[in-house]
Amino acid sequence: MNSRPAILALLLAASCASPDPVALMDAPQDGKLRIIVFGAHPDDCEWTAGGSAAQWSALGHHVKFVSCTNGDIGHWGMAGGPLAKRRAAEVQKCAAILGTTSQVLDIHDGELMVTMENRRTICRLIREWKADLVISHRPNDYHPDHRYVGVLVMDAAYMVTVPFFCPDTPHLAKNPVFLYSEDEFRRPNPFTADVAVPIDEVIEKKLAAMAALESQFYEGGCNGGPQLVPDPNDPAAVAARKKQVREEFIGYFSEPANRFRAVLEGSYGKDPGSKVRFAEGFEICEYGRRPGPEEIRKLFPFLPAK
Amino acid sequence: MRHIRLGLILIGLAGCSSAPGATPMSSPTPMPAPAPGDGKLRIIAFGAHPDDCELREGGCAAKWAALGHHVKFVSVTNGDIGHWAMAGGPLAKRRAAEVGVTSRILGIDHDVLDIHDGELMVTMENRRSICRLIREYQADVVISHRPNDYHPDHRYVGVLVMDAAYMVTVPFFCPDVPYLTKNPVFLFSEDGFQRPNPFTADIAVSIDDTIEKKLEAVEALHSQFFEGGANGHAGLVPDMGDADKVAARKKEVRDLFSKRFASTANKFRASLEGYYGKEAAAKVGFAEAFEVCEYGRKPSAEEIRRLFPFLPAK
Repeated sequence: MNSRPAILALLLAASCASPDPVALMDAPQDGKLRIIVFGAHPDDCEWTAGGSAAQWSALGHHVKFVSCTNGDIGHWGMAGGPLAKRRAAEVQKCAAILGTTSQVLDIHDGELMVTMENRRTICRLIREWKADLVISHRPNDYHPDHRYVGVLVMDAAYMVTVPFFCPDTPHLAKNPVFLYSEDEFRRPNPFTADVAVPIDEVIEKKLAAMAALESQFYEGGCNGGPQLVPDPNDPAAVAARKKQVREEFIGYFSEPANRFRAVLEGSYGKDPGSKVRFAEGFEICEYGRRPGPEEIRKLFPFLPAK
Repeated sequence: MRHIRLGLILIGLAGCSSAPGATPMSSPTPMPAPAPGDGKLRIIAFGAHPDDCELREGGCAAKWAALGHHVKFVSVTNGDIGHWAMAGGPLAKRRAAEVGVTSRILGIDHDVLDIHDGELMVTMENRRSICRLIREYQADVVISHRPNDYHPDHRYVGVLVMDAAYMVTVPFFCPDVPYLTKNPVFLFSEDGFQRPNPFTADIAVSIDDTIEKKLEAVEALHSQFFEGGANGHAGLVPDMGDADKVAARKKEVRDLFSKRFASTANKFRASLEGYYGKEAAAKVGFAEAFEVCEYGRKPSAEEIRRLFPFLPAK
């Protein structure tokens, strides 16, 4: 398990020299689900899918979070390599909390482009993870890096099944299901919660992950400022700031439960659905395998019975 | 005719890389393209791979061609990873030969651009290639995929053709190729995708009189359908010495595509009724459908009938 990041790093480093990818693949044949989530920055996957990830991993399924950029301009007071290293360490902490695997691609924050090189990278990552399920941003999210993650993943969605696209990495015989994570943008079309996942049982883990993403939330990330950050030697002020961040996230994570209340009630029954406090929402992308309600339940085995 | 046109394209493309003094840039004002002489319609269709135009507009192409109109199918990639067992140059050559056969069946022109399958990107070079092809064909009608089809190459063909849709009329865009004084009508071919918006059948055409030609073209695209293309496998392909098994596989492919082309008629029955009347539309077995792209000339109902002269008079 611990060797996977090292093997992937080796694979990426060596891919130009065409290694034998089969020999390097270590996807266990354990009958468990394999989920890969792409986010733009080292905090996006945790935010959009951290609750679902914790529930998958609690059942022994395999979840990997990939940040497509290194997040190296995501702070008001620091940037570059030091910030990239700091954020990579933050998502490693989150991975330990959520029981997931984490990878950060070394692409500058704010500079992700739709290139063939990036399409190939995404395609290889999906194939190497032998994904059953792939999650990404929609291509109409607010940040260009978010949008281009959406485009790149969509552009890989069919190509992962084509044997002679990236022939250095074995193709997938079965196209994964591709899902979009939730956003609030309306144009050209609003997000639809095809799947609404209650995360009440793991909300503390998700909140702990948010607390671990210190540069982004405690310190406020690129739109933050020194006024947010208390004197570290003042435990009362530190605790107050931590509480403030926690309460903000309790608000953020309850918002999808309210917005997707009808879906929650429709999927799990009026009474249980009405009691869900925290949720994550996902939309089925048309370019992957199209799951019916039965397959959705197989892919989200922790969904409450109706 | 085709060879001359191909030659012109090559000269046009070569113009990009040669010294500025050697190109028509030395003439101060670009000249519009001369009006085509024979009074016939000129239709150019762009598909991502050497089979896409055939599947989406092969029936209409045969109908236009039967009336003496000019149709050209352009595959924007060479299809060189579109098979489960072969790839690269040999597959590209094989697929170019296949669309050579289909264009003879349908009575049309064709072209395959030498861009790798799965690697079409939205670049200025590609926008210029599309713009030049439309201008050189002096197109009245341009057909492409929508930019929300499932395959990245399909989507980017849609984007590139949309990006050329107005620019073909701009004299100093690609001034090496005479611009069009009249923006063509741009149409999207049918697909089933719903987001961000579903396909609308602004035009629905019965292809019952050309369905045999279209099915013959499907059969000629042997690497893609008989053998199954990129998602196929050895199990699909019978021993070619076993005439019964070969015939059975051919029938299987034919039945599959008969169903697909019939489903278009069923899906867009209401649109067919608008063009053919309720009674005649009910009898249509096979159809093709098109959506008017907002970025080209917006045709009136009357102009649609002029551009699709095989639609019955109202």
